Amino acid sequence: MSDASVEKAAVPADHLPIWDDPHEAIYHRVSIDLDKCDGCKLCVVVCPANILELFGPKDSQKARLKGDANGCMSCNNCYAVCASQGIIASKPYDFAGFYEQKQISEFMFPRKF
Amino acid sequence: MDDIANSHDLEELECELDAAAAKAGRKARRRTAIHDIEPGADWNDVEHAILTRRSIRKFKGRQVPAHMIRRILEMGRFAPSQGNCQPWSFVVVRDKAMIAEMEQYCVAVCKNMTATIDYTNYPAGSEQRAVIMANTQKLNRENPNSFHPVPMTAIKSIANGRFAVFHRAPTVILILMDKRGVGVPEVDVGVVGTNIVLAAQSVGLGTCWIGFSKLLSSNPALVEKLGVQPPFEIAEAISVGYPIGNPTQQAISRQTHQIVWWEDGKKEILY
Ligand SMILES: Cc1cc2nc3c(=O)[nH]c(=O)nc-3n(C[C@H](O)[C@H](O)[C@H](O)COP(=O)(O)O)c2cc1C
Ligand code: SF4
Ligand code: SF4
Repeated sequence: MSDASVEKAAVPADHLPIWDDPHEAIYHRVSIDLDKCDGCKLCVVVCPANILELFGPKDSQKARLKGDANGCMSCNNCYAVCASQGIIASKPYDFAGFYEQKQISEFMFPRKF
Repeated sequence: MDDIANSHDLEELECELDAAAAKAGRKARRRTAIHDIEPGADWNDVEHAILTRRSIRKFKGRQVPAHMIRRILEMGRFAPSQGNCQPWSFVVVRDKAMIAEMEQYCVAVCKNMTATIDYTNYPAGSEQRAVIMANTQKLNRENPNSFHPVPMTAIKSIANGRFAVFHRAPTVILILMDKRGVGVPEVDVGVVGTNIVLAAQSVGLGTCWIGFSKLLSSNPALVEKLGVQPPFEIAEAISVGYPIGNPTQQAISRQTHQIVWWEDGKKEILY
């Protein structure tokens, strides 16, 4: 799993988040289940932020976040293409200060009311 | 007297009309749905299209037949709009050279933007970074939408060639907005586009909204060449093509949003 839980920096509400500070611009909220991933590469291909890559020996490759991964939009395009449900963004991106996400709650699949 | 017919009277009128029709052996006139769906019912076709639509950014090379594009544009034509003013028109670009020209121009703008506003290109503590950051944050205060942190990584990826603006789609639809539209024409343009992307999803086409198409507006010669004339301006674009793989096979998970719910004199907060 690579779901690094980053703590948000404590800053004033009007502070403009620094784009490359991982505590102010929080993008790393994608988890990959290495047991389920079969290395098909589809998520790598569709990811709009271009932050996924394959790693490992040729016959058993797995997906992972790139080292300098930044800009994940929590769009779940990766989940949508993955036939083995091995990858998912389960929290929205977030920011410290001015662009902090407000009036939202956790991720949920479509609910049949 | 209140000249707005009250709904009880209208319901009675409906019943009378139905009864009269039945008596005369004609079809009932009633148009309103009288059967609510059961709680937990399966998704219908519209709901299914909404849930499985994803933004598609990798397309097959094959062109979409012209009639398919006409068909999805036709769904746009029946979108609701403020005052029914329909403040839109379209430019459909299926010409490879033209799409390439649009792409090249947007890439050039992104290169310029990255160089002048993206302080993350410079090491922490450097003087250059401090200077650029001060300038960028000033622009950010003046224009918090354009300088939202999210598009910044995309602009950088476009500048260094890792991300194509129009995603090399075979067809690009530019949605033009009549600036004189009633109320907030920007909203109407969003509604027309939503009709188009959902219609496309329902017939197996992949689409992606291209907000970066706005960048074209800073090139009047190209705008004119495309056939855009005042009072119209380029509001948005939608890339269309056949998706690679099956990116719409399953519904995804998304955050929930606050719903303030007023009922029976009480206020509740739902998600
Ligand atoms: C008005 C608008 C403009 C957008 N502009 C772009 C764009 O320029 N480039 C892009 O790749 N995606 C663009 N998108 C797509 C969003 O990134 C995408 O809708 C979002 O990440 C959710 O993913 P989904 O569409 O797959 O559900 C845009 C979406 C909208 C509604
Ligand atoms: S799409 Fe799924 S199975 Fe394929 S590489 Fe990505 S996580 Fe692994
Ligand atoms: S959620 Fe979207 S941006 Fe994030 S890793 Fe998945 S495909 Fe990429």
